[in-house]
Amino acid sequence: MKRKVGALEKVDADLPNLQHKIKVDPISYQEDFVNQYGLYTSIHELFLTSPTTTDDTGLVRLRDLIDFISHTADCYPKIAGSFPNDLIKLLQLHHATLDPELRDKIVGSLVLLRKKDMIDSNTLLNTLWPLLVSTPSKSLRALLYQKIVSDLRNSNSKTTNHKLNRSMQTTCYNLIASDPASPKGIWAVKLTRELWKRQVWSDAKAVSIMEIAALSQEAKVVTGGVRFFLGGDQEREEAADEESDQEEKNISMGKLRHQAGINKKTAKRDNDLRAAAKKVKRNEKKKGAPHPLNFSALHLLHDPQGFAEKLFQQHLQPSQPKVRLNLEQKLFVLQLVSRLVGLHKLTLIPLYSYFLKFLTPRQPSVTSFLASLAQATHNLVPPDVLEPLVQKIANEFVSEAAAAQVASAGLNGIREVCVRQPLAMNETLLQDLVQYRKSKDKGVQMAARGLLSLYREVGAEMLRKRDRGRDAAMKVRSGEMDGARRFGHVEEGGIEGLELLEKWKEEQGQEGSEDEAAGWDNWDARSDSSESSGGWVNVESEGEEIDISDSEDEREKGAEKKRKMENARVKKAVGKENVDEDDKPAEKTPAKLEASQRATASLEPAAALKREEARVSTLATTRILTPADLAKLQELRQSAAVTASLPSAKRRKLQQDAAAKTAARHADDAVTAVDIEGLAKLSHKATKEEKVRMAKGLGLPNGATEDAGANDHRSTTARRKEKKAAEGKSTTNREKARKKNFLMTLGKAKRKGKRSLGETAKVLKAHVERGKRGGRRGNK
Amino acid sequence: MSKITVAGVRTNVQELLKYSNEEKKRNFLETVELQIGLKNYDPQRDKRFSGTVKLPRVPRPNMSICILGDQHDIDRAKHGGVDAMSSEDLKKLNKNKKLIKKLARKYDAFVASDSLIKQIPRLLGPGLSKAGKFPTPVSHNEDLTAKITEVKSTIKFQLKKVLCMGVAVGNVDMDEEELIGNIMLSINYLVSLLKKGWQNVGSLTIKASMSPPKRLY
Repeated sequence: MKRKVGALEKVDADLPNLQHKIKVDPISYQEDFVNQYGLYTSIHELFLTSPTTTDDTGLVRLRDLIDFISHTADCYPKIAGSFPNDLIKLLQLHHATLDPELRDKIVGSLVLLRKKDMIDSNTLLNTLWPLLVSTPSKSLRALLYQKIVSDLRNSNSKTTNHKLNRSMQTTCYNLIASDPASPKGIWAVKLTRELWKRQVWSDAKAVSIMEIAALSQEAKVVTGGVRFFLGGDQEREEAADEESDQEEKNISMGKLRHQAGINKKTAKRDNDLRAAAKKVKRNEKKKGAPHPLNFSALHLLHDPQGFAEKLFQQHLQPSQPKVRLNLEQKLFVLQLVSRLVGLHKLTLIPLYSYFLKFLTPRQPSVTSFLASLAQATHNLVPPDVLEPLVQKIANEFVSEAAAAQVASAGLNGIREVCVRQPLAMNETLLQDLVQYRKSKDKGVQMAARGLLSLYREVGAEMLRKRDRGRDAAMKVRSGEMDGARRFGHVEEGGIEGLELLEKWKEEQGQEGSEDEAAGWDNWDARSDSSESSGGWVNVESEGEEIDISDSEDEREKGAEKKRKMENARVKKAVGKENVDEDDKPAEKTPAKLEASQRATASLEPAAALKREEARVSTLATTRILTPADLAKLQELRQSAAVTASLPSAKRRKLQQDAAAKTAARHADDAVTAVDIEGLAKLSHKATKEEKVRMAKGLGLPNGATEDAGANDHRSTTARRKEKKAAEGKSTTNREKARKKNFLMTLGKAKRKGKRSLGETAKVLKAHVERGKRGGRRGNK
Repeated sequence: MSKITVAGVRTNVQELLKYSNEEKKRNFLETVELQIGLKNYDPQRDKRFSGTVKLPRVPRPNMSICILGDQHDIDRAKHGGVDAMSSEDLKKLNKNKKLIKKLARKYDAFVASDSLIKQIPRLLGPGLSKAGKFPTPVSHNEDLTAKITEVKSTIKFQLKKVLCMGVAVGNVDMDEEELIGNIMLSINYLVSLLKKGWQNVGSLTIKASMSPPKRLY
């Protein structure tokens, strides 16, 4: 009897042991669990009567029991049914006074119960979220935040849990909306940002939380919201990149297979291999899957115009500010407003006059202001509001007296504005500014040249005749430039380089449907083959089959048509039009063409030039551009761009760079202060210390490591020697000889002069012999 | 479908026209729409595209247009039987958002005189550009009717918050050749806009207002 009791006591003391046993065989240990549960309830009640005065041993015991029960409760859901609720109540009522360890244990147990499905996510989050917002304890907040994020991620891992997301998003939204002046909203911002980054929340609702955060009345919440819009998407992209990198690193199927081949065969290795194969397959499936629709936050805004207006009115020009933002925070808001204006082409006229007072060289972080101004400019901004700004920048920044860096920043700022709205510039100012391309300073020079090349493209008639350059002058003369410089004018898009393609086709003399079919040949296969790992599927032959099914008759007709065409071509001179018809007889072609020409001619009673254009576009209206056509188009476009600018290799390269830069620029991209500062570093003159450092090959002190070679002013030999040493290579005999101590060579040199005639002859003869042999080692 | 052929487009257009003109003739002029579904397109990374292109034929002749102009242009508009408003009329709207919205909804497109267009953002605020109907400029020495046809025949491809879009490319009154010309030009232009060309195109469908859709690609 006594022994039994001892055993029981032992079990009692050894909760982990019991926990293990229960997990293995819940039914037979039910009684033990009931005992322990009873013990827990009594201690719990005791604790509730006087939560603050319970001694240490009681706390430890309670903690252990809570741990034990939360681990085993899922085996006896009936007995421990009220357990989760007890914990929740305990936490809600006493979180402020609880012993920290016990408190953390309760939080951990609740999460554990969620994992075991004893409670649902909603209950858990509803418990933890209010605590997170209200508790004064920093460590508890950190713990709660981490648990909330991980729970949300977990419940969204397989499929999106819309219901949970919606309720949580509403909670976050209400937290800020109910009390815009309280700093608690920062938690909603933090959570939303984290989940956005992890692509758990990527919908308009999450964006609306940030929208209201940006409009709140607490500086921290405001900056949190604004920063999200400025950088949240980039963060998300980086996180996604990292993830995919990791995935690629983790699985190397070939390596595993190799290991399995050479190592001892065990069940574990087999399993590993199988798991890896599964993972590879899953990843491939993921690659083929359609992209998740991750629109950027700026695009998901419900009402960008209203948002921008409110932001501007509340934070940037308030009569009585509700929030006091410092300059840095104001700049963030300004960047967001200007980003919105530029991206959505909003009309926010007061914004531009707001800039006016900040555009002086003494203003701190003025380049950011310039960048924001450029960002806020688009083609629908009335030029008369921009003109004073451009004028002011020119007056304040660009003058002979101004420092080179200031002038180049000003010129770059002006250029960025004018790229977006060329009408903001007037003729006299432009001609004045362009003169700076003769400046002695490299940065100013380049900035002025940038402005010049911009206006050669968009408004050459504003430049002086000698500044226009050959291409632009020719365009002005032929009248191609008209119409581009009108406010509200939208450039009509055409298929760029189509006439080149047409010309090329004419030269090739390709006709009709056969080549069209060829153009489609396994274009899809190309994209597929990279994804299919096995390579068994012969996509090419498959493609062929499809071809036959729908173009066999076409082909016959094509051949027939060709014969007819040949006959026809003798007669008609205009037969060169590359018209492709599939099921019409060839005789109809001229009539059809004429009809289309007549129609276009009636549409536009303009010059012959336009008719020419219409003729060219027959390719686009009668043929479908195949993937092969598109590829050729791209190629032709590029080669045309290259040959148009032949003058000198250097200039060509510069032009290409500039073209690539402007082509890469898009309304979705932000303009940053770096763009404005741009070439300012060219204006920088090295100090003596810097020169010394460069001569020693130490490079510049503050970073500037992107081009180390440029800052290394040592001799070529010195650099080469260092490189060789770094590669661990030995020296040649010549180098050794050159390096040899002079005193050691002295004896030989002396001896050389005292040689007898016979000795000299011998040496010379040996030299000739050696030459014939092919050196000392005789390697011929 | 693996590819798109001119013959395939032709048969689809024929069927479509046959259905709308013979089988089920409606009491109004049906518009033919090109619906596009994109694929493998990441709207964040690939940068959203937009572009306008002028079609050889006017797709919707019944489009309503309003001229915002000075006296000269108003006279010309009246002569041509087009609605017109002067700057005084616009000032009467008093920047009232509702009235401006109503104006924007009333017309499909706007044309404004060169002298007036610069004031449009000040006079009307963001209303028109919000609706995507910012006016097209016209100068005194341009032919107004030609300008109007130009505006009518210009279509706009713009991606909104979803990966599909539709544009009107014609109507069922046009003959087969004209319709095919319009469709081809819009398809070619669209594909040339896309970064990866045909690999970005998920589906192409044509459909008249009340016809069953015909899938081209």
